[in-house]
This record gives sequence, structure tokens and C-alpha cells, in this order.
Amino acid sequence: MGKFILRRAAQAILVILVATLLIFLATFALGDPFASTGEKAVPPAIAAANRAKYGMDHSLPVQYLTYLGNMVRGDFGIDFNQNRPVSELLAATIPNTVKLAVAAILLDVLIGVVAGVIAAVKRYSFWDVLVTVTSTLAIGIPPFVIGILLVANVSGWGPFPPVPRSFTVQVNWLNELILPAFTLAVIDAAFIARLMRGSMLEVLRADFIRTARAKGLPERTVITKHAMRNSLIPVVTYVGISLGVLFGGAIITETIFQYNGVGYLLSRSIVQNNAPVIIAIVVFSVVVYVLLSLIVDILYAYLDPRIRLS
Amino acid sequence: MTLPPSSSSDPAAGALGLPTAEIAPPEPDTPVTPGTAPRRRNSQFTDIWRRFRRNKLAMVGLVIIAVLVVLAIIGPFITPYDPFEQNLLNTLQPPGSSHWFGTDVLGRDLYSGIIYGARVAMIVGVCTVAFSLLIGVSLGALAGFKGGAWDAVISRIMDVFLAFPQLIGAIVVVRAIGNGVATVIVALVVLGWVTTGRLMRGQMLALREAEYVEAARSIGADNGRIVRRHILPNAIAPVFVYAFTSIGVAVVAMASLSYLGIGVPPDIPEWGRLISQAVNFLQVEGKAFLWIAPAAAIAITTLGFAFVADGLRDALDPKLRGGN
Repeated sequence: MGKFILRRAAQAILVILVATLLIFLATFALGDPFASTGEKAVPPAIAAANRAKYGMDHSLPVQYLTYLGNMVRGDFGIDFNQNRPVSELLAATIPNTVKLAVAAILLDVLIGVVAGVIAAVKRYSFWDVLVTVTSTLAIGIPPFVIGILLVANVSGWGPFPPVPRSFTVQVNWLNELILPAFTLAVIDAAFIARLMRGSMLEVLRADFIRTARAKGLPERTVITKHAMRNSLIPVVTYVGISLGVLFGGAIITETIFQYNGVGYLLSRSIVQNNAPVIIAIVVFSVVVYVLLSLIVDILYAYLDPRIRLS
Repeated sequence: MTLPPSSSSDPAAGALGLPTAEIAPPEPDTPVTPGTAPRRRNSQFTDIWRRFRRNKLAMVGLVIIAVLVVLAIIGPFITPYDPFEQNLLNTLQPPGSSHWFGTDVLGRDLYSGIIYGARVAMIVGVCTVAFSLLIGVSLGALAGFKGGAWDAVISRIMDVFLAFPQLIGAIVVVRAIGNGVATVIVALVVLGWVTTGRLMRGQMLALREAEYVEAARSIGADNGRIVRRHILPNAIAPVFVYAFTSIGVAVVAMASLSYLGIGVPPDIPEWGRLISQAVNFLQVEGKAFLWIAPAAAIAITTLGFAFVADGLRDALDPKLRGGN
């Protein structure tokens, strides 16, 4: 196990290095990211500070090392819009994004697992058809559109409280969280329901389920203790990857709901052409994504010994 | 659930319910003699089509796709107005007899814009998936069939591209090479080929050990022939299913980029851009027509492709359906 973790961690670090190198090349080698600063005038002192921070008057290799150094220290310069250190902006938004991601995942695991188990246990019943058709619809309609529908809150009598469209209005955090979390959860819940249904159906055919039934265990115990636990492995992977994406910022959903997370910060920075923030968030998302896949793989190997032996 | 090697970081295939090689139907009697090939392939196709036709949602999806393709081709000839023409004296008109879907913030006819948007969406969707398939299938097949150093190098490249969440990667590419329809396609292909590649590699790994491949090898078929005539036809099904899903995914990604203000240039009527123009009117009474039509266009498109992908998956592999 130790050897597996070590090998997998080394691989993750390598992937992060190469991926961030690609980001560097795309950002710095193909042009000067600080050349255009959007509509807002940037004080010369700030512009100069950023150029110095990224070693812009040195050669590309030196720039790369500077960029790597900045990355490791988590120091990405000063943003063009509010003239605040980028790390400060990230520190303010990351907790919100994490909150949203966790809320969305809890919601979609709950809905997805329950729906998947019901569909598998009551196969071919009305409930199975309902789950199968709903999940097909939910996967087909992009979160983008669902979010727009929820914000617009069609004709005002939707089931949800209206979303304030301004930062000056104070709302309690639950109201602020629930709609974007639901938007994100729809598609993942549908995928999880499908995964769960498929793997439950497979597990329910297994010999140990017949054994459990044969020794007279109540059906409820067979389903919850024996079948469900063994069907959860693909769901664990899916959830891990999904968390990886969500922790890096659910760009579109956060933007639609003007949710003050990393994703919304990124989308505003794109509009403002705010290079220091964009670089920071892109690097952040990639690193988080890779690290979470690493954690999932380790967890996976722990759950299923076949993986680490292969 | 049997796991293909290193599948753990690629849930997409499993989540989409794609048939993988382990559960794909064994078709050991793939024609070897060229003479019998057309007839057999034909009957297999008829079989798949018969199963596909029974699936009502899949047929709905097929109709949606057909309409989209027709609109993409003849759209510009049937729009009542020039979708590019702005009329600042006639903005935000509600739907009526002269403008069926109303006019947008720039006074452009929304109905014409939506129809023109179908062309943009189809071009981006189809090109993205075609190029992703081309690259993904070739590299994936190479990695899976050759193994060894080929596999190691290609797999590591795939690992690196997998490290980018789709939209983040697309943003990096678009910002690096500038806006444009072609740029969006490039950005989506750069990341899109990887999933196809991994699917293909997994299929190859599983099938190259199959008995009928061994049989073909023992009668002296060379590698090229084995891959083209024996492995590819059996390996391509999940890739094909995935391709349909990913056209929808590409359309949404394009719309997402436009919504963020990059990608397709702002003067081209594109569904995501039309929504982003309407975003300040989301809660304004009586202005819902601004976003309903483009949002519906996106949803109908992705649903259409998702339905067909689902139907295809079931038709190609009836065992997955469970109906037997």
C-alpha cells in the first residue's frame, strides 16, 4: 500500500508539473499576459509590481522558474481590478466554493444513491422507469439551463426563494447556497443514480447475496448491509472526480447565481482581462483536481485491493 | 464491476453507462472472407436499427438531430431577417407577428438568431467530435495495441490533459490563441480527445487478447488487417456512443464559453451569447422571451444527442438493457 501511494503521488506531482508548464507556455510564451489590462486603468506601480513578480524582463526559462516559485508560495501578484493581492482574493472565495461543493455532493449522493437503489431493487417497476427516464432528462439538460431557469424563477411562484441579484442585500447563507447546490447536484445525482442502479443490479446477482438470503437475513439487511456497500465503489470514484471539479470552482453555476466563489471570481476576471487572477485560479483548479484524483485513487486502492496489486 | 487498468480517474465512461469491452457482446464470427462481408454487416446493422427504433426517446432524439442538421444547412436561407442585422430603434420587442421570438438587446431578430445559432452549434459540435475521434481513436488504438513504450508515452500524455477540468482547459487555450469559432473547436478538441483515447485504449487492451484475434493471427493476418477488420469493428461501439453524448457536451461547452464572454466572437448569434445578453433581464417581468428561446435551444439539442446516445448504447448491446 505504501509503495502504491508513493508511486501514485510521484505521478501526480509529475502531472501537476507538466500541466502547469503547459499553462505557463500558453500564457507567457504566446504573448504578454499583462499587456492588456481591460477597461480599467491600472496604476503603474501595480503593473510594475506584477511584471517584477513574474520576472517579465527576464528570459522565458527564468520566467518559468519565477512562476513556479510564485506557485509554490501561493503568491500570484496583485490583481488589476481591486489592487489586492491575488492570494487574498483566493482566500476569500475558496471557503465559499468548498461550501458549495460539499453541499452539492451531499445532495447528489443522497438523491442518487437512494434513487439508484430503489430502481435496482424494484426493477421494471414504475419507480425504476421514473428513475431511468428522469436521469436521462437530467443528464441531457445542461446545468447551465437549469441554473438560468432557477434564477429566473419562472413567473415568481417557483418553489424557491428569489435570489438577490446584488451584493448589498444580505441573505442567509442557506438561501444563498441551496439553489446553486441544487443546480450542480441535478446532473451528478442522475449519473450516480445510473451508476448505482447498474452496480446494484450486478451485485444483487452475486452468490454472496444468495447466501445472505439463504441464511434467513431480512431483505432490508441484505440490501443495506450486503448489496449497497458493495455497489458503492463506482460511486466513490465518481464523487471524488466530481469534488475535484467543484472545488476548483463551478464556473458557470457560480456565475449564474453570482455566488462569491472561485468560479465567479474567474469569470469576472476573464471579463476584466485580469491576468494575475486568471493564472492563479487556473493553476489552483488543476492542482486541486489532480490532488483529489490522487486521493480517490488511494481510497480506491484501499477499498479494492485488486487495484494496487495490478 | 470489472475494472480496466487505471480506469479509476475516468468515471465518464462508466457514468455514461457505456458498454465496455468486458461486457460487449462477443461477436466471434466477424467476417474474414471479404465476399461475405457486406451481407453480414448489413444484417447486423438491420438488427441494431430494429432495436434502436423500438426506443421512443431515441427516435425523438433522432428527429431533433435531423431538424438541427437541416437547420444548420439551410438555416440562413429561411431566416426571416438577417440574424446579424442590428436595429437599435427596435430592441427588446416582445414576440409578435413580425418577430416570432422578439428582438434582442441589439434589435436583432431572435428567431433568426436561434436558427443561425443551430449552424454555429452544429459546426462546433460535429467538428469538435470528429477531430477528437480522429486523434483519440488513433492514439488510443496505438497505445492499446502496441503496448510497451507507446502505451507508456501516450498514457502519460493523456494523464496530463486529464488534469484540466474541461472549461478551465478551454479557457486557457482560447485566451492563448484568441477568439473565433475555429479557436473554440481547437480548445475543445485539445481536451476532448483524451476520453475517446482512454476508451479506445481500454477496448484495445481487452480485445487484442480475444480468441478471434488469435485466430486471425494464426491464419497469417498482419497487424494492420487485424486492427482494421477484427478489433476496430468490435471496439468502436462504446466510442461511437460516447461521440453522440459528447456532441451535446461540446455544444454546452461552447455556450458556456460564450456566456463567459470568450470563444465565439460577440457579433455571431450563438445560443450561449444570446443567454448572456439576457442575463440582466432574468428577473424582469415580460422579458423572459429573451432567454427562453436560446435556453430551450441548448436543452433540446443536448437532450436530442443524449437520447440518441442512450438508444444506441442499448441497441448495440441489448444485454445492458437487461431485457434479454
